[in-house]
Amino acid sequence: MSDLDRETRDALVELLLSMADDEFVLGFWDSEWTGIAPILEEDVAMSSVSQDEIGHAKALYELLAELTGEDADQIAFGRPAEGYRHAALMNHARTDWAFSIARRFLYENADAVRLESLAGSTYQPLADLAVKMRREETYHLLHFDLWLRRLAEGGGDSHARLAASIERLWPDAQAVFAPLEGEARLVAAGILPESLESLRARWLERVAAPLEAAHLPIPSDGARPAADGRTRRTDEFAWLHGEFTMVSGSEADATW
Amino acid sequence: MSSGYASAVSSIPPAKDRVWEVFRQEAEGDPMVHGGSVKAPDEELATHYAREFYGRRQESERLWIVPRDAITELDDPDLLKPPFDRSFKRPGGFLLKHKLEAARERAGSPQVDEVGE
Repeated sequence: MSDLDRETRDALVELLLSMADDEFVLGFWDSEWTGIAPILEEDVAMSSVSQDEIGHAKALYELLAELTGEDADQIAFGRPAEGYRHAALMNHARTDWAFSIARRFLYENADAVRLESLAGSTYQPLADLAVKMRREETYHLLHFDLWLRRLAEGGGDSHARLAASIERLWPDAQAVFAPLEGEARLVAAGILPESLESLRARWLERVAAPLEAAHLPIPSDGARPAADGRTRRTDEFAWLHGEFTMVSGSEADATW
Repeated sequence: MSSGYASAVSSIPPAKDRVWEVFRQEAEGDPMVHGGSVKAPDEELATHYAREFYGRRQESERLWIVPRDAITELDDPDLLKPPFDRSFKRPGGFLLKHKLEAARERAGSPQVDEVGE
């Protein structure tokens, strides 16, 4: 692992951090549905799926910690809000159920494309983790594809809210594939088997059919990810950051 | 309103309240055991919820998810607990105790500790 040159290693750190933060922040947003999801059964399902994402984030932070010699908890909870690298898609508050479902649908499909590719990474620890994560993400995909269909078929208000959410989230969803610093090195080393831009094309192809079947217009498929797609932070995220760092921040170096 | 048909129709619960019974198998080869139930509007969501409630901790090898209205229930005591002695239908066969006692009495050799029970 330490046979990576410095620039490649730094780029890998960026990649791992971006993935871990995506999962971590989304896990926290959607865990807010605990207790208030549409029905009891969905309450348990949404909470469980959110826990899965925190679990994936943990595994990714640990991989990162091995690489940098830092502490995984410290990486997860010890950064200021501006230090997080999640895609702008995860900058938004939970909002309503349609909004949360729209975000999950866009993200789960993006994550699936990313993991599918990383399963072939030359960085073996990441390839192994991607294979493991994909098995759990299979269910996430099924669940949120299903909810997208249900809300779309619900007609009236349900369809309108979903369509508005897809439109609002679309530009920020592109940011899951925002180019990373040093990305070319990762591609050259086969750590990232293909560029994020080519993964984005695959994702666009993948979400087109279900969106069309659900009569949800694709806002503008030419939109490229914004340059600050993974660095722009919002007040909504600053609030969430305050929430999820509250306990760890209350007593530094406490043993739990 | 008063027709039997109307009341039968209105007794079907709305889709969102459909109940599904979940049976689970703990290990390969074990019998399927009733785990509990979930509410879901259709088979697809019922499968997801069954997975969450009875499988998310890796405690199940296999689940059966059955709509409750597909289950035929029999709980008529006249059919299941008839008032007559049906001990001869048990796999163990007849209860011989009383016959044995009677036979011993006839033979005049009662066994003190057994008679009178």
